Amino acid sequence: MVDPDEVRRRLEAELPGARIEVANPAGDGEHLEVQVASPAFAGLGLVEQHRMVYAALGDLMPRIHALQLRTTAEGESAR
Amino acid sequence: MSDVLAEIDREVKENPVVVYMKGTPRFPMCGFSAATVEVLNEIGVPFKAIDILTEAEKREGVKAYTSWPTIPQLFVGGKFVGGCDIVRELHAKGELAPLLRKAVGRG
Repeated sequence: MVDPDEVRRRLEAELPGARIEVANPAGDGEHLEVQVASPAFAGLGLVEQHRMVYAALGDLMPRIHALQLRTTAEGESAR
Repeated sequence: MSDVLAEIDREVKENPVVVYMKGTPRFPMCGFSAATVEVLNEIGVPFKAIDILTEAEKREGVKAYTSWPTIPQLFVGGKFVGGCDIVRELHAKGELAPLLRKAVGRG
């Protein structure tokens, strides 16, 4: 399990200026729902966007049991 | 590891639609794998499913092949498309069905 605040800090450090939401709906630090909207995603495909998030999370990744991830390039409408 | 990578490479290139998942399409062992299969079934194209719980060497093998840390992983026409969240998002945007139908020759 991980601290959702640590997830947020890592993302803020690697993706400055991003809008980040980290939800921990089960309250267990195991099933996280993360939304990231960043201008750094502009022009990138979803695979590349998700890769950047995984890279930012680094060693936290294997400790998160289930990560639901949604990325948008800033400026795109988030549905 | 290189044998596994070669086998995965062959698998994804010889089959138009391949999903590496936990469990089987009938008995998925993970919510994300289940959701991915559900999307594929909804679109209604045939696909090859590889259960990485049974073929354990492919669990790390496919992650190394794509440099992608999670399972499930969907390949269409030999190309990595994404994991569960991307599959669901592409489906919601209506972009997945045409990609799949084209790959299986029903475009």
